[in-house]
Amino acid sequence: MTGQLRSLWFWLSLAMLALLTVFLLYPVANIFYASLGSASAKGSGWAILFGDARYGRAIVNTIILGGAVTLFATAIGVPLAYMTARYDYPGKGIVAILPLVTLVTPEIIVAQTWLMMLGNNGLLRRWLLDVGVTLPSFYGWFGLITSMTFIYYTYAYIGTLAAIRGFDVQLEEAAQSLGTSPMKSRWRVLVPVVLPAVLASALLVFTLVVGNFALAMILGGRVELLSVMTYQAAVSETSANPALQSTLATVSISLVMILLFVQRWIISRGRYEVTQGRSARPARLRGAQATVLALVAATVVIISLLPLLSVVIGAFTVSRGPVMRWGQWTTAHIERVFLSAPGPMINTLTYAGIATLIAICLSAVIGYLIVKKRNVVTPVLDYVTVLPLALSGTALGIGLIHAFNVGFLPLTGTASIIVLAYVIRRLPFGMRNASSTLYNIPNSIEEASISLGVSPARSFLKVVLPLMVPALVAAAVLTWTTTVAELSASIIVYSGGRETMPIQIFKLIEGGLMALASAYGLVLVAVIVLPILVATRVFRIDLFSSRT
Amino acid sequence: MKIAIESLAVRYDQKRVIDDLSLSIGSGTFFTLLGPSGCGKTTLLRAIAGFLPVDSGRLLFGEKDVARLPAHMRNIGMVFQDYALFPDKAVFDNVAYGLRARRIAEAEIKRKVAHILERVGLEEFGARLPAALSGGQRQRVALARALVISPDVLLMDEPLSNLDAKLRHTVRSSIVELQRESGITTVFVTHDQDEALAMSDRIGVMNAGRLEQVGTPTEIYRNPRSAYVADFIGAANILPVTLPGPVRAGELVTVDVAGHGIGARALHPIAAGAVRLVVRPEDVGIVRAGSAERGLPARIARRQYLGSKTAYAAALATGLDLNVECSGDGHDGFAVGDAVALTFVPSKTLVLPS
Repeated sequence: MTGQLRSLWFWLSLAMLALLTVFLLYPVANIFYASLGSASAKGSGWAILFGDARYGRAIVNTIILGGAVTLFATAIGVPLAYMTARYDYPGKGIVAILPLVTLVTPEIIVAQTWLMMLGNNGLLRRWLLDVGVTLPSFYGWFGLITSMTFIYYTYAYIGTLAAIRGFDVQLEEAAQSLGTSPMKSRWRVLVPVVLPAVLASALLVFTLVVGNFALAMILGGRVELLSVMTYQAAVSETSANPALQSTLATVSISLVMILLFVQRWIISRGRYEVTQGRSARPARLRGAQATVLALVAATVVIISLLPLLSVVIGAFTVSRGPVMRWGQWTTAHIERVFLSAPGPMINTLTYAGIATLIAICLSAVIGYLIVKKRNVVTPVLDYVTVLPLALSGTALGIGLIHAFNVGFLPLTGTASIIVLAYVIRRLPFGMRNASSTLYNIPNSIEEASISLGVSPARSFLKVVLPLMVPALVAAAVLTWTTTVAELSASIIVYSGGRETMPIQIFKLIEGGLMALASAYGLVLVAVIVLPILVATRVFRIDLFSSRT
Repeated sequence: MKIAIESLAVRYDQKRVIDDLSLSIGSGTFFTLLGPSGCGKTTLLRAIAGFLPVDSGRLLFGEKDVARLPAHMRNIGMVFQDYALFPDKAVFDNVAYGLRARRIAEAEIKRKVAHILERVGLEEFGARLPAALSGGQRQRVALARALVISPDVLLMDEPLSNLDAKLRHTVRSSIVELQRESGITTVFVTHDQDEALAMSDRIGVMNAGRLEQVGTPTEIYRNPRSAYVADFIGAANILPVTLPGPVRAGELVTVDVAGHGIGARALHPIAAGAVRLVVRPEDVGIVRAGSAERGLPARIARRQYLGSKTAYAAALATGLDLNVECSGDGHDGFAVGDAVALTFVPSKTLVLPS
């Protein structure tokens, strides 16, 4: 019987692997394969890539941008984390919600905000011009680095904060008792333990920059970037080139894969076990020091909150075409979103809803198999489910349209390919959520239930599943908030009439219709914030417990 | 219910942890599997429970072979080391869980749960969540949950190891009391020899997946079958000696320790050659050197006053240390450096094969 049971789990693992092979491995393999083909007269994608200096520049630019943003984001995020972990200062409570703010703000809306503030016709730019200050053009390096830094510093912040909080302060005391000064103790004892976490989050930032589409596309100006050129190769009416787009996607996947391997390597050799920890009590600051810290924190918070604020204002501001009449209010844009053009809203809710449901079920089942029912297939499953981390949305989109264009499963042009893209992009995160909870549920609980006469399958349902529910709800909320804001994959796979809100916003920004874009943005933020509020306030679920 | 294990083989992580093990446990017996960590005692317990598949052999509960029966159909009660209480269910629901699985009427469940909770002294705690209980209370809930279903066999996996020393002593007696009262055949796993001696009807000492010796606590302590058992139970002195000729079971022999002949007893037939002389610290007598009694000359190397007794390390001329315990604190104490003579009682000094 036990043998049969084990084989039941084995067959389930195999079925999951088959599913992932068709919908994940096959599209990725398709990208690599297509990059070698010679669909155009100019030869294979690789020949074009090496023949045209623009592509080489795009790769170099992407790496430079990644390096710069990583540097600045770390420079802001790490000190902020240290301050928050070790000191109490006025307004600290607001800094604590920072990760939430980044999470709920879709990148497309961040891009739009920066345009509305500092773009060629931006509010702030015109106001500065009035007082005699001329800013450099925001399109290009200036805009890219600024906007990305103020999103991605939160990743450095969250990662470092967790490491500093987990640090046993008794080690510092031990160093002081052995005769090093407090500052020196910190440098010699705290820094080496926290450093791997800092490096790991820095690399994460780098991968996010490489994969970033919305900001690169809207604020990139004349700076050639890999994600933008890949997108253009994929959608351009005149020069759509399957071989070239696959080649560019391959380059981006390889770049991210290298970074992820380096990250894993750092984590695996640098993660020190700090046992029986007692974390430091934050020291209360007063006077000038407190004021300075509060000001720094406030600046960061204000810049982070700006997108939400400007979307609210923009949505209710009267506009004639691209011209915003600041100070004159209207509800016309909101009415349009709900009444005359509700398509994008309905599409977003439908696709993201279905995708969330599927992603959570898959995560729970695969997570359970990997953590609790290990067999020969599960290590493979474990590796395959993290693969989407290496795929930028653009690359995934290209893989999907190629794989399911014609042939055994023609999904291109249907809504299901958008849902599919959502599910695959979120799978690694849902999995991490599910498995971290499962690791915390001791096997003995399940065995206790079995020993009391309940079959293994019913034991899972009666004992394990109820304990997983809070984590699954948290995972569902996080999946939902990120899928409704997803742009880079869906913009490649969508077809006319299936626009989601982010796609619609993107199109409106391209057309310069900021007010209507803001109205869609406001609705988008609302459908993101509402579930978070319900989950955290009504059900008191800690959304970030297993995120870092 | 009687448990019979016949030529059992169990694999864990591809490795054969238990091979060809046979054991019979009488109905109503409190049986303890005792051994150091990694000896296979938990593996054996989990195989009896049905959580590890049996490679070969038979496992009988009464007349029924359950070796291939899934765990949830074996009608066992199990107490886990970490108690494994369902954290989201109140004490009452934890205890009622097994009864509900058996589809017993809710009124009957209420009565049974109330009764067992009263038995373990937790009648007031039914509505509490496990997190709101102390370690000792959780332990009793786990026991109540396992007993309330009237299992054929009660299995306990080091249930006392997470309790502090003082609590452990009181819980020991309450577990034994409950077991006696219910008459459920019990298999108890521990690495604590005191626990095993104090609680068990019978003990099986395990070593590397084999049962080294099975017997009552007195048999195990007084007549260890091997130096391993003697060493594991109590702090025995074990000295390498040479047996001049073969001995029969129960025969008294004289062996040479540091040039002095010492009388000892053989429990079973042993061939001549290198053997072990085993003697408990409290069975070694100690007198001042030069007194009327003759003995093995030694010098006090260390002394520990323990209240009810005093423990000495006595160094022989050969450099070997012997542990000696003198009970009562009224006796004439010795100081470090004193020259003494050690005396032995042949019936309590054993010759065992190496």
